[in-house]
Amino acid sequence: MAYQTNYRKNTMDSKDFTPFNRRRFLGTASALGAAGVLAACGKDPVPVTAAPASAPAPAADAKKYAGQSLNLLFNQPHAVAGKLLAEEFEKLTGAKVTVTPVPYDQLHAQATLDVQSGAHQFDVIDYFYHTLGALVADKVVLDVTDWIERDKAQIQPADFLPSLYDTYTLRDGRRWGLPYDGDTHVLFYNTEIFARHKLAAPKTWEDYYQAAKLITEKESANGIYGAAVQGFKIPVIVGSSYANRLAGFGGSFFTADGKPALTSPEAVAAAEELLRIVPYALPTPAETAFEHALPAFLSGKAAMIDFWTDLGVTAQDPKSSQIVDKWSLVQLPVGGKNTTPRAALNAGFGLGITTGTQKTELAWEFVKWATSKDISLQQDVLPGSGIDPNRTSVLNHPDYIKAAPLLQPQLKAAIGNALAWPLQAQSPKLMDALTEQLALIVAGKKKPKDALASAQASWEQLLKA
Amino acid sequence: MLTPASFGLAVVCIVPGLYTLALAFTHSSLGQPLAAWSGLGNFHALFQNPEFAQTLLRTVLYALPASFIQLSLGLLIALLLQALRQGQFVRSLVLLPLMTPPVLVGVAWKLLLAPAGGLVNGTLLRLGWIAEPVSLLGSDTWALPALALADTWQWLPFVVILCFAALQTLPADVFEAAALDGASTRGIFLKITLPLLAPALLGIFLLRVVMSLKTFDLVYILTAGGPGRATALASYEVWKTGLQNFDIGAAAAQTLLFSFAVAAVTWPILKALQWVERRTG
Amino acid sequence: MSYLPNTPTATLPPWQLLPSLKKLRLPWPRQRIWLRAALLAVLAFFILPLAFLVATSFKTRDEVLSGQFLPVRPTLANWPKVFEIAPLHWHLLNSLAVAVLSVLVTLTLAVPAVYAVVKLRRGPLLAGALLSSYVAPPVVALLPLFFLLRQLGLNNSIVGLGLVDGLMNVPVAFWLLRSFFKQIPLALDEAAWLDGVGYWRTLWRINLPLIWPGLVSTGLICLILSYNEFLLASVLNSRPDMRTITVAISLFQGERIVNFGQMAAASLVGIAPVYLLALAFQKYLIGGLSAGASR
Repeated sequence: MAYQTNYRKNTMDSKDFTPFNRRRFLGTASALGAAGVLAACGKDPVPVTAAPASAPAPAADAKKYAGQSLNLLFNQPHAVAGKLLAEEFEKLTGAKVTVTPVPYDQLHAQATLDVQSGAHQFDVIDYFYHTLGALVADKVVLDVTDWIERDKAQIQPADFLPSLYDTYTLRDGRRWGLPYDGDTHVLFYNTEIFARHKLAAPKTWEDYYQAAKLITEKESANGIYGAAVQGFKIPVIVGSSYANRLAGFGGSFFTADGKPALTSPEAVAAAEELLRIVPYALPTPAETAFEHALPAFLSGKAAMIDFWTDLGVTAQDPKSSQIVDKWSLVQLPVGGKNTTPRAALNAGFGLGITTGTQKTELAWEFVKWATSKDISLQQDVLPGSGIDPNRTSVLNHPDYIKAAPLLQPQLKAAIGNALAWPLQAQSPKLMDALTEQLALIVAGKKKPKDALASAQASWEQLLKA
Repeated sequence: MLTPASFGLAVVCIVPGLYTLALAFTHSSLGQPLAAWSGLGNFHALFQNPEFAQTLLRTVLYALPASFIQLSLGLLIALLLQALRQGQFVRSLVLLPLMTPPVLVGVAWKLLLAPAGGLVNGTLLRLGWIAEPVSLLGSDTWALPALALADTWQWLPFVVILCFAALQTLPADVFEAAALDGASTRGIFLKITLPLLAPALLGIFLLRVVMSLKTFDLVYILTAGGPGRATALASYEVWKTGLQNFDIGAAAAQTLLFSFAVAAVTWPILKALQWVERRTG
Repeated sequence: MSYLPNTPTATLPPWQLLPSLKKLRLPWPRQRIWLRAALLAVLAFFILPLAFLVATSFKTRDEVLSGQFLPVRPTLANWPKVFEIAPLHWHLLNSLAVAVLSVLVTLTLAVPAVYAVVKLRRGPLLAGALLSSYVAPPVVALLPLFFLLRQLGLNNSIVGLGLVDGLMNVPVAFWLLRSFFKQIPLALDEAAWLDGVGYWRTLWRINLPLIWPGLVSTGLICLILSYNEFLLASVLNSRPDMRTITVAISLFQGERIVNFGQMAAASLVGIAPVYLLALAFQKYLIGGLSAGASR
């Protein structure tokens, strides 16, 4: 493949590579991890602290990166997690790590411009998994397949959640990063409102619809609505809402042979589902983004919301929420002929190394370390970090179960067969074309069937180019 | 005297202009600009799709009325400020909306207009004037006017302060003479005040129209072009194509077409300005 | 030299400035009441959203969209928190430095150019060219500017962004100053030239003092435009320590679980310096010229 010959000169020669003492690394990392987990145990919000000093100070060997610096380009919602990683990695290796958070809609542009302009300001980037194809095509990230193979024992690639590993890292037969944050949506609901109307947690989208309808009809005069549906015209917002329904109906964005499947019965059914909830949702879905939906749910004005898993942490924080202990969560409902709950991979991030970096070795050490089992666990159990499990061992770890008792079983059941967004290099354009049509559906300007037919035509044209 | 400005023009206009021209005729993505020649491919795609033409029309139909209303209101408010001899404190209060960071203008209006829990709806519901929340930004017909409202709030101070400065430079003796001659007040306003102000007013109008045509921040925060395509204005669409879909070839083509449209719209205003200046100059 | 004005308009009675109101020869108080009411309505319209932001800065996350103006459970936590989250004072200083530099650049470039075009009748195409350069959305122009600054080593710097902002605002300053310059009769300049005064001195000693309000208002506008500029600042100055306040505030927006209270607090901090500057320069907006100077 073309990329291999290009990047051969970027891979390290064996004589350049000084093996990072694996045993000491694992020892230190697990000590740090365990201490971090103990500090962050339970669901109570704990102030963000750096790793405690009880870890044995590594010998000079591990401080060999002292004096070097590493620059990370991180997503704004990961700023807290990134800062923690920076502090700990610095303690571990002496390298100075700087984290630059940028808003999520500038992440890709900044990374690309950085490489393309020759500025080479960043060494490691945090990327949306569905934009990886575009990053690879624009030669922004390094091919790390061979390094994964070489450090297999340390990384344990088989431990990465299967539905995430290929989706987040494999393009054109090569791997370009490691999974970092496995975002999915679940359905949160207000137990108090549900108890009032003697409703059970929705299992199907039909249950969801009926519950929302009932609550809205009975309580909208008091400003309480059955569901908050986010239909704002941005791919990560309305696209996620649609993907949740598409996953529930058992549909996919593509058929098995890679052709767009937007006119399949499941895709149309999912769009119809999105349309029919509009009258009974928090007014109005076309206008509703995170900033409308979340305060509504957190103040008890919306009974249901499909959102990222870290909402659970905020919902239990008395400073931000009026529904502490009055909510619960369940997997995304199913619909149509599908009866197995399915997660939708909405957002989701991996860590990659930029092609312009001078410090490939240090960057690779960081990426391996940040996605390792112990550090992932430490990040995932920490309230407010916003990071979700990327490894099976972390998902099933007792500390994680303890930190997120409601979430863990739901996540475990649904993550196996998750729905991924388009992965091709054209993915941003594909999602934009779909968002245009979804916005028209939510605004009631176009029928779902017609809108999806237009989207299908756009996709076919974009994929041909 | 002209050299510095011309040099500045070259840097921010000619160089990027040539680059834009080059991009428009190639297949370019953000990561690989000027990758391959595509001739009129980008333009062809734009012409085939009626959406861009609609976007341009929508942008013009948004900018012209909004700017005109802002000009009229701005002049009235400037007259009001001068009539009441208000001091610098009141004038600085009027300036506040202009000084608000654009993201905040959007956020403030978003919170004000939100149907479920926004201040406007909350107050109206509590007063009993409406039974159900009204959604402006989520409504097809009212989203663009709501955007114009937020835009007016932000830029009216711009017009006010410039009209006020223009009023300051009116020569007093002409008015004294006219008053002594017994001219009617309406006559004075129409035949003296307005003509004297006309060049300044037209200059302000021209500038406001051009700025209005480039509205981006408000669309980005308030509606992202929705609901449907109701508020898809040109500047936002170009940004989306270039920095969200990373197709900068198409974005360059859109920029060129947009510039032609703006030139077509502002040409009459420029001509009017020159005519007025010839008449009163 | 007796070219300066003798009767500033501001000291004349209002009814001679506003002939349109002359016909309302009502007793003073009744007339003023309606005008005062109108002024209050205007001020309320301008201030209400900002007052709402102030109230929001004291609200917790769940109360932001509660439909109430005042918070039910007010909290002071947002204010110190925003300084923890981002070094706002640094961003403020960056913004101010960039804005001031850009105004200097803009005026230095625009004033001579306007004088040359309007009074000396040179470069008639410049006006149109500048306007057309202002017309295009800056999205695509961003890329060559980014590369150019990087070549000069000026990206992520105050100087670089200040220069770019300054250059971008030259068309605005040009068109605004143009109408002000046109109001000064050419006879004044010609008289000075006949006396042997050079172009630059004429500009400096005669024209500028007469259009002082116009100059101040243009400078103020350019300052505000530059201070609030977002797109260029976010791309050209992406390094955290060089960020401007507009970009810093947008980072609060970048969260999934947005905290509007903090965002409101941060932006109020951002507005404060510009507001104080504007307040300070307001008094220079009064001062006029009289055509009597031409006699």
